[in-house]
Amino acid sequence: MERFGYVRALSILEAVALLNEPGIRSRPLAGGTDLILITRTEPALCDRVVDITQIPDLHHITLEGDRVVIGAAATFSEVIENQIVSSTAPMLIQACRQVGATQIRNMGTLGGNVANAAACADSLPALVCLDAVARVLTPNGEQEWLVSEMVRGPNRTIIPAGGLLVSLSYTVPMPGSQSVFIKLGRRNAMAISRLTVAALGRLDETGRIAEARLVPGSATPHICRFRVVEESLIDQVPSHELFQSAARLTADEMTRQSGRRWSSEFKEPSLTAMTARALAQVFETGGRNA
Amino acid sequence: MIIEFSLNGTGVSVDAPADRTLLAVLRDHLNLTGTKEGCGVGECGACSVLLDGRLVNSCLVLAAQAGGRQVITIEGIRSPDGGPNDLQQAFIDSGAVQCGYCIPGMVLAGEALLAANSRPKRTEIRQAIAGNLCRCTGYQQIVDAIQATATKRQEQNHG
Repeated sequence: MERFGYVRALSILEAVALLNEPGIRSRPLAGGTDLILITRTEPALCDRVVDITQIPDLHHITLEGDRVVIGAAATFSEVIENQIVSSTAPMLIQACRQVGATQIRNMGTLGGNVANAAACADSLPALVCLDAVARVLTPNGEQEWLVSEMVRGPNRTIIPAGGLLVSLSYTVPMPGSQSVFIKLGRRNAMAISRLTVAALGRLDETGRIAEARLVPGSATPHICRFRVVEESLIDQVPSHELFQSAARLTADEMTRQSGRRWSSEFKEPSLTAMTARALAQVFETGGRNA
Repeated sequence: MIIEFSLNGTGVSVDAPADRTLLAVLRDHLNLTGTKEGCGVGECGACSVLLDGRLVNSCLVLAAQAGGRQVITIEGIRSPDGGPNDLQQAFIDSGAVQCGYCIPGMVLAGEALLAANSRPKRTEIRQAIAGNLCRCTGYQQIVDAIQATATKRQEQNHG
């Protein structure tokens, strides 16, 4: 017997209609790299999957004014290969490159990474660092949330039942901005993130820090910008000591948000080193234009 | 449900439950057992196939998702006379095949790489097969085989 049925949506409107068909519990199927596994352990998860991967609009990546809009079903490979993203947010490209291996990046989607909201999701810290906005369609209309507000915790979002995440968008960072994404895993490929750091920043004409954004991943239950660290950097002149002090503050903030746990002993020095490295790359010469 | 797709260049139609993976349908319904099941959770790459030219883990793809699309399995990789193609021959010549279980996936990963990048560096070959586990060879011979094929194909194209 089939545990669930399958239907393919050919347009966004059709997908929303299918997801909200009365009497049938439906789930959107994008890359499937999470969902197919979940259906094996939770056979009663849904009555039917709605395949949204063949909807062309959900793969489009466009520049609309000063905003980059990425269709939610764009695969990691499609994002990595995209010129608009690579020229505006190299940090997001670096994050997508860190996902699984070729096979997973060819199927897995940016929207799926956000909607599944794993604590270790590689794209989430980068999207939160970009202040990315998620657009969700429901039968009653559309809603937009900051990704950092929509993703509440591990595997927890406020996307309503029957809602469809259709795009993720971000404002192109100001000229002169640099961004970086650093990942710590047990090995280079196919490794679940132990810790990640996404950072973006910009200096003013006098060489002081005009903008700083810092988002550690796999570090806190709720992935968010560490404002207290960011504020400690603003108007300062970049230096090794400044970055070390901001990095220690980052580790303290992680522990404050997550509490002390068995892994703290490993995570605190690791996050300190990774943060100092990320800031050095963003505000010195090693970062990439973004 | 009836699922129709292009399999190794030929149209097929198969009646399979909607929750079956492409891997299960290839092996159990279409009797194409070249595609292997290793981990079953998308980590080992033994079940790799090309879906619309992209390397994917067929254990994580529903057969229904392949409907109307093009699937290439290891059975579709061969020379015109039916024997091994140049990449497969290079695997044999390089001693890249020991138990052989990972090899169908490795060959498809190699073909996917060479289709996108005809002059891969050694590190790029390693990245391209990062999702394919081999417990026998230590990978050196597999990388050698893909690199030798890249070189040979370049010579053929330019020479």
